Amino acid sequence: MLQNLRKALDGIVVCDFSWVGAGPIATNVLGQCGADIIKIESNSRPDILRRGEPFKDGIGEGLERSGYFANRNPNKKGIALDMNHPKARDVALRLIKKSDIIINNFRVGQMEKWNLGWEDLKEINPRIIYVTMSLQGDKGPHADYMGFGVNLNALCGLTARAAFPGERPFGTGTNYTDHVMAPSHALFGIMAALLEREKTGKGQTVDVSQLKSAISMVPSSILAYGANNEELGPVGFSDPDAAPHGVYAALGYRKWIAIAVFGENEWYALNKVMGNPEWAMHQKFSSLQSRKENEEELNEHIEGWTKKQHADWLMDELIQNGVKAGVVNDARGAIEDEHLRKRGFWSYLDHPVMGSTLYNRAPIHFSKTPLKMETAAPLLGQHTSSVLTELLDYTEEEVNQLMEENVLI
Amino acid sequence: MNKTGSLSNLRILDFTGELGPYAAKLYAGLGADVIHIEPITGDPLRSIGPFYKNQPGNERSLQFIYYNVGKRGMVLDLGKEKAREIFIKMCKNADILFDSFAPGYLDGLGLSYEHLSAVNPKLVQTSITPFGHFGPYSKYPGSDLTCSALGGFLYLAGIENDKPVRISDNQAYRMAEVYAAVGSSVAALFAQRTGVGQYVDVSCMESVAMALETAAQCWDLEGKLRRGRGKEAGTATIHPCKDGFVVIAAIMGKNKSMWVSFLEWMKAEGVDEWELFDNDDWVEPNYRESKKAYELFCNIFERFTMKHTKQYLYNAGQSHKVAISPIANGKDLLENSQLIYQNFWKELYHEPVKGSIVCPGSPYKFGSLKWRLGNNAPIFGQHTAAVLVECGYSHEEINALDKEGVVYVAKP
Repeated sequence: MLQNLRKALDGIVVCDFSWVGAGPIATNVLGQCGADIIKIESNSRPDILRRGEPFKDGIGEGLERSGYFANRNPNKKGIALDMNHPKARDVALRLIKKSDIIINNFRVGQMEKWNLGWEDLKEINPRIIYVTMSLQGDKGPHADYMGFGVNLNALCGLTARAAFPGERPFGTGTNYTDHVMAPSHALFGIMAALLEREKTGKGQTVDVSQLKSAISMVPSSILAYGANNEELGPVGFSDPDAAPHGVYAALGYRKWIAIAVFGENEWYALNKVMGNPEWAMHQKFSSLQSRKENEEELNEHIEGWTKKQHADWLMDELIQNGVKAGVVNDARGAIEDEHLRKRGFWSYLDHPVMGSTLYNRAPIHFSKTPLKMETAAPLLGQHTSSVLTELLDYTEEEVNQLMEENVLI
Repeated sequence: MNKTGSLSNLRILDFTGELGPYAAKLYAGLGADVIHIEPITGDPLRSIGPFYKNQPGNERSLQFIYYNVGKRGMVLDLGKEKAREIFIKMCKNADILFDSFAPGYLDGLGLSYEHLSAVNPKLVQTSITPFGHFGPYSKYPGSDLTCSALGGFLYLAGIENDKPVRISDNQAYRMAEVYAAVGSSVAALFAQRTGVGQYVDVSCMESVAMALETAAQCWDLEGKLRRGRGKEAGTATIHPCKDGFVVIAAIMGKNKSMWVSFLEWMKAEGVDEWELFDNDDWVEPNYRESKKAYELFCNIFERFTMKHTKQYLYNAGQSHKVAISPIANGKDLLENSQLIYQNFWKELYHEPVKGSIVCPGSPYKFGSLKWRLGNNAPIFGQHTAAVLVECGYSHEEINALDKEGVVYVAKP
């Protein structure tokens, strides 16, 4: 095969029992790198994100219109398998024997009930990497505590500081940890286990703590409290080493521009773009320290200037003069952004129900093994027959029989 | 070295600063030999606070210590020809090189990927930059805030017409770093199997655009521009309590069983007017999104929460299967009984400050691989001499290179 047609993870097979956010995002990235992702659902237990907004044309009927589900599951093959059926385990087992990675987020103990826990599987397939992702670990006083991404945002310390002084904390406005910390640490853990397997020939368990991986990326509150016994305050939109640094109104509905001025040269450059206004020459804005001390007044001046201008034109002018600036893009702005489009970040893939719809690739650009964005998210059970016959060596008759017995449903 | 239970057979060069260090830290945590290379002017992260005991100093930045513990440190002035020779020798035996230089900088010094891969065809080079190495913005200056803004992520951190709020710890940088770690590990596995290394380009702007949750699809499928959650009653809303704030997901979507658990809790606590929650209207997202519902919810729920601490509300709510959590600050985190039970926090003795620093422990647990914090965050130039010895330089040569300012060797 030509080198530039190869994918980095060609030949890796993933038995994917994961659902909702973090697990499917992790396997999505593996799939884009060339791994064969077999996503297992059933009509009695579809991925619950299939019922999550937004829906194609806003119509939330059925299981095949959710964009929340779709963007986490391109390039995967979907099979329907009712694990509660006594004959389902054999199908799962054939897949597991061919798999390099198995990932699930069932309740603790569920896989063991099916005799598909690690102790069983390491005998059946000693090379398999067995991935679990728990919220807070399976032991300890809070092991059973519930939570969504917004709960973990709060627990890891991220929400507390994402606040304007004197106001309620806000956070990211999303289930941030589900999209960033949990899948990325799962991915790195999986890859570390694959690298280790190159040496040992053996698989192993990878147990990712969603809370701990979140804390690892937001450490400053505990570093400061641990060392100095003090709490760091709300961030607002500031930065301790920059002024002006913030989000400023521009012309139009919900239009803002972000400006970040770090050194004195950047401050002089900003002044030049502003036309060296008289206020900016004042002593109280003459150094970073004095600008920090008078930051509120500084921000009012900056906004007085930005609010009469178009954010995109202003960004261009600031950038040309060496000032870090960026339009605060809404989703449409990001989708239509020239840079992201030129880099091939967005793809439109054809889906049998949703038609040509938007997906994004992982933020990794390989020079020799490009990511693939080929097929839209699978319909529930779309690839049941082809996976069973082509990958798992079932005959068509056997597949039909299993269908009739309601195993593949 | 080819120990099992460790990535010690990997050698990683980490030539990053304020943007980049978490990528190589993930490798160091699993035992890889990571060499953090600093310019002769020092890693800029050394001058970023908070500092130990709030006293600034090159060896006192808590973030520098956290992101670089477990790595070795050397200092190299790439502006000098001899330093570039050393760098090339180091690349010869490396598996992965991380850098966060402006696009074109290394090329201009004759250290392009083509050049380095000619010396070591298996080398994986992963660059972490605001906008990546190609595309119309590739040469633009960028910061954490401006990348968060351009990628569509910052916009979500607000509701209605409010300006968005920024999150701490430079998350646009952190997101790019974790994907750089993932991308380089994928490329390293491919290199081990095929002998072919490659160049991996990771940008902050794309990384933040990976974290838009449903926002891109809301536009593409429904023509709607969403902002953050925060005003849908009981669905990821934040409320004040006696000593801070709590967040509650009393219901998501139309999940009535969640609401029933919440109702049971309110009833058990004897909350004033809890009966007003006993109504199927609350199961409808449309109702909860109304101003009336949000205000009613806050009115009843906050009269209750204001009487209690975040810790009480956390335990009491969770015992009723309600997804409520404290908005934790540093103290709450260090006192979190679950994390204490799991022995998560690690103490690092840092010689230059003659004191200990509490650091987060392992984000994951493996069957065979062992995580470690590492027992040292490198002081400036600490391992320069050791690394040069490994590259075949004699002590006399190293002294000369130090005197010429090609490298910096820490003096005992």
